[in-house]
Amino acid sequence: MKKFVVALAVLALVAGASFGQNVIKIGAHWPLSDPGSAESAKAAQMAVDEINKAGGVAGKQLQLIVVDDEAKGDKGVAAIEKLVTVDKVDVLFGGFTSGVEAAIVPTLKKYGIVTVATGAATSGLVENPLGPSPDSDFYFHLHPWDYQQSQSEVDGFAALAKKYPAVKTQKLFIAYEEGAFGAPSFKGWKALLEPQGFTVDGASFKSALQGGSDYSGALQAAKDFKPDMFWWIGYAPDALPLLEQAKAMKFSPPIYLGAPPSWPADMAASPLAENTMLFGMWSPAMNKISPVSKKFYDAYSTAFKVAPVSYFSALSYSGIYILAEAIKKAGGVDKAKLIAALEQTKYVSPLGQTITFTASKVIKHQGIQNQKILQWQKGAQEIIWPFEAQSAPLTYPLPAWK
Amino acid sequence: MLVTRRSILWTVLGLAVAIAILMWKPTILVYGIERAGLYAAVAIPMALVLGIVHIVNLSHGEFMMVAAYATYFSARALKIDPYLALLPVSLVMALFGYVVYRLTIRQALKAPELNQLILTFGIAIALSQTVNLLFTGQSWKMSLSYVSASMSIGAYDFGVYDFVFVAAAILLAVGLRLFLTRTKMGKAALAVGQNAKGAAIVGIDVDRTYAFVFALAVGLVGALGAMFLTKQAIFPGVGGPYTMKSFCLVAMAGVGNITGVLWGSLALGLAEASMNGVRELRDWSSIVFFVLIIATILVRSVKEKKA
Amino acid sequence: MNRLLSFALPLGCLALVVALPLFKDLAPAIAGPYPLSLARSIFIYMALAISWDMLFRSGQVSFGIAGFFGLGIYGSALSVLRLGMSPWLSILAAGLFAALVALLIGFVVLRLRAIYFSITTLALAEIFRIVLHNGGSFTGGPEGLFIPKIISSDNATLYWLALSGVVVALAASSWFERSKIRFALTAIRNNELQAKSSGIGIFKYLLVAFVVTSFVQGIVGGIQLQSYGSSSPDSAFDANYTLLPLAMALLGGVYSTVGPVIGAVLLGFAAETLKLRIPYGHLVVYGIIIVLVILFMPDGLYGLWRKRARARRSARIDARMAAKGASRG
Repeated sequence: MKKFVVALAVLALVAGASFGQNVIKIGAHWPLSDPGSAESAKAAQMAVDEINKAGGVAGKQLQLIVVDDEAKGDKGVAAIEKLVTVDKVDVLFGGFTSGVEAAIVPTLKKYGIVTVATGAATSGLVENPLGPSPDSDFYFHLHPWDYQQSQSEVDGFAALAKKYPAVKTQKLFIAYEEGAFGAPSFKGWKALLEPQGFTVDGASFKSALQGGSDYSGALQAAKDFKPDMFWWIGYAPDALPLLEQAKAMKFSPPIYLGAPPSWPADMAASPLAENTMLFGMWSPAMNKISPVSKKFYDAYSTAFKVAPVSYFSALSYSGIYILAEAIKKAGGVDKAKLIAALEQTKYVSPLGQTITFTASKVIKHQGIQNQKILQWQKGAQEIIWPFEAQSAPLTYPLPAWK
Repeated sequence: MLVTRRSILWTVLGLAVAIAILMWKPTILVYGIERAGLYAAVAIPMALVLGIVHIVNLSHGEFMMVAAYATYFSARALKIDPYLALLPVSLVMALFGYVVYRLTIRQALKAPELNQLILTFGIAIALSQTVNLLFTGQSWKMSLSYVSASMSIGAYDFGVYDFVFVAAAILLAVGLRLFLTRTKMGKAALAVGQNAKGAAIVGIDVDRTYAFVFALAVGLVGALGAMFLTKQAIFPGVGGPYTMKSFCLVAMAGVGNITGVLWGSLALGLAEASMNGVRELRDWSSIVFFVLIIATILVRSVKEKKA
Repeated sequence: MNRLLSFALPLGCLALVVALPLFKDLAPAIAGPYPLSLARSIFIYMALAISWDMLFRSGQVSFGIAGFFGLGIYGSALSVLRLGMSPWLSILAAGLFAALVALLIGFVVLRLRAIYFSITTLALAEIFRIVLHNGGSFTGGPEGLFIPKIISSDNATLYWLALSGVVVALAASSWFERSKIRFALTAIRNNELQAKSSGIGIFKYLLVAFVVTSFVQGIVGGIQLQSYGSSSPDSAFDANYTLLPLAMALLGGVYSTVGPVIGAVLLGFAAETLKLRIPYGHLVVYGIIIVLVILFMPDGLYGLWRKRARARRSARIDARMAAKGASRG
């Protein structure tokens, strides 16, 4: 009998030890071959290291486990299954492509683990399947949805037109890449702008990412339209060739704006980029305005010997800190307490804004809801709007090609 | 080269299209020809390999990509124009092609053609992923002012830089033709391409010919990579679509038919550009590529049956 | 004894594979949700590899797997969304839709041979993609579509669904191997002229092969869509769905049913294991593995095994003959 009790006690001790781990596990998934996502992974790890060095959270250390989802739906599902059932993570994190996010939504809902999503903007594919509260309350979406981005961009230009009366925005031509990124964005912008009195036209082009090389069809249509604003939405490889061909066609609209998710490395060095505009969420110019941004930028540059290239790193960094704060407030990873704590988030982020969670069209917990308007000036991305974060005055119009 | 009814047909078609287009948008003609130049220039080295070594090199575009990266970084480091780096880079690429051939492709030549295809597929993955690992997935693009060179016809301004590729394609076609029919090595290569066993009996070193032709093709596509860099941004996956396009063009033209590649590219370039210029047709301009390919292949197969 | 083994072994393996989810509590490392979801991916590619090999036995190299797979995806999705079909039935509808398209274009396309056939199947896959891309709100357009819910949230059910795709492919492949279709296809592959002169209706057999393999690919597409719930033109017709099954069949050993199975398991496991061990750069190793296997095992793994088995058998026969000779003399 005594032996049995001792054995039981030893068993209980061992079992207790394996349950009471001193680690809070964050499971993240990203397509690691994408440079923006690789940055996100690094920035997240940097945040985790900083927090651990400062003593961890709720008496425990954080551990980040990253699995590559290869931008494929089935690999994304496998990644989530691994993180939840094998690594037994406490919270889920990350994400980049909407396609993968759409594929993992059923699995996320099955487990219902608190998830902080850093990517996925296509609401049609992700927000609608997630569904309304309370089924989707475990999901905290940091990245703005496509319709929120469009709305903020429209608001931004309305504000610019008001502050700078010389700026004309009435006629807009949008060149969009024909795929899953450009086409719906064009449709969304058109649906938003035309009822507000704008004249909108557009043309599709094949992105260089898919082997396209000739933007002449779209550019000629744009030139014939004689727009006040020319926007293009595509990918980084389109940025400079588009400008070069626009110059060859002597097409210089007063506002030339690009909206790719990232930029080529040489954009800053190109004289053609001068005074073109862009939508984005962050740029190194934020360092002039936000000390949090400067701290992040310097830490990242020192740790990885290269400056952050896109806003994804700052976003991912913010996400880890938001999670850490909430875990601290909740005293642990209990689901109900953690959700309540996350709802109270008020995080001053390197992106230059304070992040809170409010409702979007369908889900209850949406973080960032806007984009910013920036302009290339002397090789740097200056922030033009929102005016609270403005780092340089607007230069208008785009000078004609020499 | 076959001056058949088909090539005459294409000429007539080309002219008709040109005239029709000039009526309303002359720039479509210009851009169509420029597009065709790029397609043809990239496809011709693949046609050379297919016609002589009889393998479909699925890493064709990746070799171009590697050359573009090599050109970019050396031109930037040495602060020279990419065209100055073109020759050294193509020579290095030719050597690289030779090494790849010796190490891998040569062994697979005894195996069925499918093995060679998947072998080059594996090489393509290895190359593009290595570049991704070394240089990340970021895009790089040199800013060169001459790329925006422009000309005007009436109210239309258009870019003329891309005629460089047209010139390259014509140069390649003519140059290879001369090489294959006038030089000893070239004639040996042609013989090997038509009948490898027969050529071996006559005393031609088949393996050396294959190695030379493969290295030559990689060198040529490497030169194109250097040119490509001036016009387009480079990223690890940039070669893939061009491999597919070249594969389709080469099949459309018929195995080993380099002139056919020129005509096919022209038809394709003009068709795509004209659809691209019309609003209602724009979304369908990529389909015309594949429809034309199938149509050409079917027409030829019917003709061959009749013959 | 050997006969029993050659029958019992594959049957035993199949039984184990089918029963795997039942072990999820006993052996979570191989039967938990993560390995099961990996297995599902492997099954999808495996079924595609088997179906590709079936047509390859006639000498025709298809580059259009992704085309019929994608048609299956959209066939299933649109049946559910626009026709209100039940998810299970929509998978069958997906297969039938792909088969119908194959039947219609087969009349035109199956007259082609070699590289011309291959390129045409590739071009057709792209045409399907672009048509669906431009299909507006009916097909969901460039961003794709999603169904209200996936067919089941139970891991075991999804596993068995994917496995059933493999079973369909295996059944079709077995039928091809055991019926006179096998001789017809082999004859066509070896020498078409001879085959024709010996009275084999070449076109008829090619069409059957083409339609049946497209049916399988469509079914697999339907299974994929119902298991993951969403797709888009770019992901449904991804070139990897053509190239990877091809590589798997080759690496495993073509002209067989076992070869593609082995190849799919090999490449599927390698991909995931490499990814976990080498988070950055695993695909470089993956490409190198493909190169090495092609160079050192040109007949594939199964082909190598077959050759060795044959060599062993003939060595045994030689030894027996020698022994007979010795005992006599």
